[in-house]
Amino acid sequence: MIRSRMVSILTDSQLWAPVLILVLGTALLICLR
Amino acid sequence: MTVEPVRAGSSLHRLGVVCGLCAGAWLGAAEAPTKLVTIGISPFVITLGMVMGVFVARWTLPMMLKGSGYVFSDLRQKPHLIVWAVIAGMLWAVANTLTVFAVRNVGLSIAFPLWNTNSLVGLFWGWLFFKELRGSGAKGWFKVLGGTAAILLGASVLAYATTQQSAYTSGKATLGILAALTAGLLWGTMYIPYRKAYISGMNPLSFVTIFTFGELGATLALGGIFEHGLGNLFHEFSATRPVLFWLFLGGFCWVIGDLFQQYAAKYVGIGRGIPLSNTNQLWGLAWGALVFGEFAGLSTFARELVTGGSLLMIAGAVAIATAVAPASELASWKLAMERECSRYELNKQQVEAAMRGEEDQNAQKNGRRWWDVLVLLAAVGIFIALAWGTHGRSIELNLPWMLVLLAATTVCLVIGGTLLWRRTKFS
Repeated sequence: MIRSRMVSILTDSQLWAPVLILVLGTALLICLR
Repeated sequence: MTVEPVRAGSSLHRLGVVCGLCAGAWLGAAEAPTKLVTIGISPFVITLGMVMGVFVARWTLPMMLKGSGYVFSDLRQKPHLIVWAVIAGMLWAVANTLTVFAVRNVGLSIAFPLWNTNSLVGLFWGWLFFKELRGSGAKGWFKVLGGTAAILLGASVLAYATTQQSAYTSGKATLGILAALTAGLLWGTMYIPYRKAYISGMNPLSFVTIFTFGELGATLALGGIFEHGLGNLFHEFSATRPVLFWLFLGGFCWVIGDLFQQYAAKYVGIGRGIPLSNTNQLWGLAWGALVFGEFAGLSTFARELVTGGSLLMIAGAVAIATAVAPASELASWKLAMERECSRYELNKQQVEAAMRGEEDQNAQKNGRRWWDVLVLLAAVGIFIALAWGTHGRSIELNLPWMLVLLAATTVCLVIGGTLLWRRTKFS
């Protein structure tokens, strides 16, 4: 059950836009530091 | 589509619009207590203080309104949204930290309009992922996009007129601009989890209780990084004790505004709800100008700009408020909802009912727990303890205007709260 839910979350194409942008924003913060 | 759903959609549109406008009032009012905080404290430490106040409020208000049993039951039914809520909280914290650098490098008047593009980013994601504005026709597009642009432009004019330009151009200006634009991108993207939660039938009150973990966790982590360790961060944080009450109070007002914004995102979507709540700039301006006398030295030209910018924002809000989603657009929203139901095996009837603002009777039956009272008492205790020995910057206040604005924001709370209760029971 948990595994199938995790698969549903990770294969949700809509997840990757926020994750990618979060990574980009964090990377920029590190550069600014 | 029959007449009834369209009529129900229209009443939910009105509710969403009222929530968006109330969000603007309370998000703007949240700036007022922070003006009493003495300058000279690191922005990371101030943010941490406010986020801690936010954390307290994000747990207290849902417990008061629906009870912890209701919130946990809602979360258990849609556990996948926990991941999304935490990501949204982290997006907020990273964006907020970026604004510190943006203001430092290029000044508020340049940085603000850049990060305020978040409403356009939200509108784009709403269209792309959640089928907002699809089928709304040219008139709908014109009203929403034009209204958003007017609010954005009006806010930019206000920021330009009321902040002093930097006397120099920093060598790091490019990085500052990039930081402001990225903050806008992050905040605009943060609305993806909002909308996703609401088209899955989640209650906004449940969403914010998880959102706040991502928010506080990321704020602590970033504060630790930029203040050279958590030890240093907390050492500096202890210096905020005399003003911590104001930060907590600002955080509390912020959460009320944020909750209205969440309900607006639920009932009119992010394309319409977010620009409406971005009218907080108008309220922040009113508090600054009328209560704190911040613009006493403004030139006639700057005053004209302030008037023009404010009128532009009001015109934008009116345009969006009148852009009711037609039946064809509501059908597109339904398609986005069905995608979530089939992907995450949600009960379609329950989700549809939640989107119509109908109460989940089963969850409400066992909503209250005895410890909800303890949560409430703990929050009240924290505020009383913080108020003890608090002092603020000695600052001249215009008491009559303060009372007028307090009355206006309270009226917003009463109207918005009553409408939400009557129509949805805070669903």
